[in-house]
Amino acid sequence: MNGYAHEMSWHTSYWPMVVSVGVLFLVPLAFSFYFVYQKPLLAALSLGIGAPLVLISIAGWVKEGLEDEHGYGTGLSVWAMPFLIVSEALLFVGFFAAYWATRLTAASWPPAGTPELSAVIPIIMTVILVSSSVTIHLAETRLEGEKYDRGWFLTWLGVTIVLGALFLGISAFEWTELFHEGFNFRTNVFSSSFFSITGFHGSHVLVGLIIFLCILIPALSGKINKSFVKAASIYWHFVDVVWFFVASQLYFW
Amino acid sequence: MNKLKSWSKIALSAATPLLAFPGLAMAEGAGAPDLRAGWDELWHELMIDIWVIGIIFALITLYLLIKYRRRRHDEEGSAPRLSKLASFGWVFVPAFLFMADDIFLAAKNFELWNKMREVPEGAYEIKVEGFMWGFDITHPGGATATNELRVPEGTPVKASLSSRDVVHSFFLPDYRVKWDMVPGMNTYLWFNSGAPGEHVMTCAEYCGTMHSGMYGKVIVMPKAEFDKWVKENAPAPEKHS
Amino acid sequence: MSTQALLEPSDTAEVAAVKQRFSLKEWIFTTDHKRVAVLYMIGAFAAFFVAGLMAMLMRTELASLGPTVTADPSTYNTWLYFHGAAMILGYQIPALTGFFANYYVPLMIGAKDVAFPRVNALSVWLFWMGIILALLTFVIPDPPDIMWTGYPPYSILTGGNTAFYTFTVLLMGFSSIAGGVNFLTTIIYMRAPGVTWGKMNMFIWCTLAAFIIQIIFVPVLGSAVTMLTFDKYLGTSFFNPAAGGSPLIYENLFWFYSHPAVYVIFLPAIGLIYEIIATFARNRIFNYKKIVYYGVMGVVGLGGIVWAHHLYVAGIPNWMILIHVFMTLIISVPVGLLMIGLLGTLYKGSIHYATPMLYAAGFLFLFLIGGLTGIPNAMSSIYIHLTDTYWMPGHFHYVMAISMTTAIIGGTYYVFPKMTGRMYNETLGRIGFILFFVGVNITFMFTMIMGVKGMPRRYYDYQQFPEIEWMQQIATVGSYIIFLGALVVLISWLHGAFYGRKVGRNPWGSRSLEWTHAPSPPPPGNYGDGVKLPDDWNPYGYGK
Ligand code: HEA
Ligand code: HEA
Ligand code: CUA
Ligand SMILES: [Cu+2]
Repeated sequence: MNGYAHEMSWHTSYWPMVVSVGVLFLVPLAFSFYFVYQKPLLAALSLGIGAPLVLISIAGWVKEGLEDEHGYGTGLSVWAMPFLIVSEALLFVGFFAAYWATRLTAASWPPAGTPELSAVIPIIMTVILVSSSVTIHLAETRLEGEKYDRGWFLTWLGVTIVLGALFLGISAFEWTELFHEGFNFRTNVFSSSFFSITGFHGSHVLVGLIIFLCILIPALSGKINKSFVKAASIYWHFVDVVWFFVASQLYFW
Repeated sequence: MNKLKSWSKIALSAATPLLAFPGLAMAEGAGAPDLRAGWDELWHELMIDIWVIGIIFALITLYLLIKYRRRRHDEEGSAPRLSKLASFGWVFVPAFLFMADDIFLAAKNFELWNKMREVPEGAYEIKVEGFMWGFDITHPGGATATNELRVPEGTPVKASLSSRDVVHSFFLPDYRVKWDMVPGMNTYLWFNSGAPGEHVMTCAEYCGTMHSGMYGKVIVMPKAEFDKWVKENAPAPEKHS
Repeated sequence: MSTQALLEPSDTAEVAAVKQRFSLKEWIFTTDHKRVAVLYMIGAFAAFFVAGLMAMLMRTELASLGPTVTADPSTYNTWLYFHGAAMILGYQIPALTGFFANYYVPLMIGAKDVAFPRVNALSVWLFWMGIILALLTFVIPDPPDIMWTGYPPYSILTGGNTAFYTFTVLLMGFSSIAGGVNFLTTIIYMRAPGVTWGKMNMFIWCTLAAFIIQIIFVPVLGSAVTMLTFDKYLGTSFFNPAAGGSPLIYENLFWFYSHPAVYVIFLPAIGLIYEIIATFARNRIFNYKKIVYYGVMGVVGLGGIVWAHHLYVAGIPNWMILIHVFMTLIISVPVGLLMIGLLGTLYKGSIHYATPMLYAAGFLFLFLIGGLTGIPNAMSSIYIHLTDTYWMPGHFHYVMAISMTTAIIGGTYYVFPKMTGRMYNETLGRIGFILFFVGVNITFMFTMIMGVKGMPRRYYDYQQFPEIEWMQQIATVGSYIIFLGALVVLISWLHGAFYGRKVGRNPWGSRSLEWTHAPSPPPPGNYGDGVKLPDDWNPYGYGK
């Protein structure tokens, strides 16, 4: 009679706690040891503790997520993603607001020390990123129903990952070039915004790639959470849209 | 009562803030206004305003809390449901009352604000530069001082504010004025020096360890004495390095 | 008449549905919302406790002119930094949007848990890491000394460890965003059939509103402190005036979040007060729908466009001041409606003064004072004299520190029987409340008066204002009374949790789901096979 029979135990998971500890070591502690207290050894140690903890928890979390036995929020990832995107968008708004405020009140622009930025590179990067949005959409179309085709899904997901990695590669290449020309974080107010915003966008691409890997690897053995894939793909489109702002504001304005 | 006053004034003053901003209204030309008195007066009006609101709300609250105590364990609330009209009424009537008060206060505010931000003509201009932890003062004639701001009596004084290092705030409690000193920016405030005497001058924006030790005095001097001091302290031309 | 007689005499303990055995592993690695709530509660109260001790040290230091506890001003500054940051980021926001949201949201909407239980556990542990980082302040060399506002250029030039501040903010920020995404999804998509938008508890509406604010504004603070970190440690020049940046950009971004943050605290707190008053007055919510639309949503709508009232004298352009003075004053309208809603809920109620209700009654007065002292601040001309004086700690301790603490402590007494299955001791509860109420009024009334006299805040010493020493002393005495009160509260909880009388599911005689449908304490999964509600169900359906 009492419906509690099948809910007799408290649900647990190791990973949220482990990943939090990992993050504490990986970011704040490692950063502080290195930059604040100038103790590279301790910083390396922190990284050495933090990184494995984070990696192992991501793997563990993905595994658990796919085998989810209680499934309270099944299918809700897609609906949660818009809220996350609002947050992410506002993060960029913060950086852009600072950039606009500086730029619109500056006596002259660009400030001294800014080299000519290549117009070709951002165009290539845009093409790559837009294609990757198309490919992830293609991948998604054969996920369910009678059109279900795992090979197709895996192929296009793989192509997306390659495109994303290519994007990051070009970005890294551009950064190195600029460093060689003496344009770095410290150069001037524009370099501050330039590297922070492109860097933040790049880190979002990186996170997207990690998410895709977390989908790809289990999918190889047939484990797919469709709602999660859709959510990840929405996220990827968002990263794509942000890039239009990044490119138009930083390169072409 | 206060509400009534506010209603009658609204018609007159609703437009003031819009017109009087920025810099369209001039402080009446001749005698510089007394900011301290202006501030104190508005403060008192404001205190009456919020005390009246506060006491009305507090009395109603007390009444309800005492009147409707539970008498039996199975007693339940018996408030009637509101009709549609009443439910809107309970939103819009208070909203308009509150808003009326708000607009009244805003109008009053900008009246004083404009006085505080319009430097009267003929003000004595000094430069004050904040640093960790003190105020460097430069007079028009070149006389300098640290943590001692000497001004002639009965004169409007404009202080141009800047900072050498971090954000400070130049605060003269007796004159009811303060303004931030921001590195890379020039800001200002003005006050009416009044009768001879001494007043506290202190830093009001957190600026590090000795924030609380960053203070000095405003010394208001009789005109003649002040002129003498300025002359004596003016830098000799050859002393430039 | 004894208090028990006014409550539900028929309420007796049921046999626990699940055998309770303690397992540390099941607590630390839990994903259950009720246990996550308890983890939040422990973290938040730990922050309150430590930050409260800092307040006691500060008050003692201020009790006399010249050095009292420490001769080193930077020690005082570190205490104050910790006090402000921990009280807001570590205590009130997590207590309200962590502890209470976690405990109540699934129970009140008839769900088994939140949408993403693991993400929920992640947010509590990120919050804990933030607490740990903040507590490290006391052991690291060169602790942060930049106050909770962290204005550059000081925060960049200081030898103190600004990174610990920015990372504390970032960890807590991530935790809040994870919580926001989770709870918005939960509230919107996981309500039991019958819990419609028009029948949601006030607390749920307020929490929904608070999380909307969180997901929009937290990231902006995140961007601000990230730029601060870059400026200090990587050499960028966002806020460096010498290179064309401006400290004002930070100030604006900071308050763009930190003003709405006060409504993140205020909304769930007043939501709790609504629950307490509805239950103890056994009354419907006055003008429920309009209060939600115009009160709660009005605060959300206006909350984001008033931040510059912290910056009237910072050197911002005049047009901003014009807009923000108006908008800030207008906030009194939705907040006033929320107050009227509370008073209307008392009208023709049947009020029983158990401890939670005492706190709710205290809230009505404390918040009234606090809110009304916001009006002078909002007026830019009056503000010029008042800003950065003790008037401000007066304002925000009334409106935030102590008002919201009455909501948090009162709310904790209110859920106490549900959480523990036991009743606290009513006498201890009352003594704690009286001490607290008396103490806070003494301390912060004098704080405000000192401010009007010109005493600036964040002062280690006040040689230039010797005449106010006596007021500082009275404020210090008041703060010791608060401390005693808090101690009694703590004792009453510990005593109640271990030795309290056992109670059944609904000792207060409430109509709300979590009291009528779930055992005390609720088992994993809360409602077994789910909740079935009759059509005429209403969480406030009293007097029918
Ligand atoms: C929960 C927290 C909380 C809440 C709810 C509020 C509410 C308000 N606050 Fe406060 N505030 C803080 C927390 C809070 N504040 C903090 C922490 C700081 C300092 C930060 C720092 O510098 O460290 C601060 C500082 C602060 C400042 C800046 C001071 C400075 O820079 O020095 C200002 C200026 O306008 C201000 C105004 C207001 C106003 C107008 C409200 C309004 O929302 C109040 C509205 C309520 C009422 C008005 C009462 C009820 C209504 C009625 C009874 C209806 C009738 C009333 C009228 C018509 C007037 N606050
Ligand atoms: C939630 C917010 C909050 C709370 C609750 C408090 C609580 C208190 N605060 Fe403070 N305070 C701030 C937020 C808060 N404060 C902020 C934001 C600032 C500005 C910082 C800045 O300038 O940057 C400030 C600044 C501030 C100042 C100004 C200092 C200065 O400018 O130089 C002072 C001075 O009197 C002060 C005093 C107090 C006191 C006496 C209490 C007391 O009410 C504290 C009472 C609590 C305790 C003594 C804890 C005891 C607990 C127990 C015994 C256990 C109980 C446990 C449980 C109940 C579980 N606070
Ligand atoms: Cu200078 Cu505080
Ligand atoms: Cu504010």
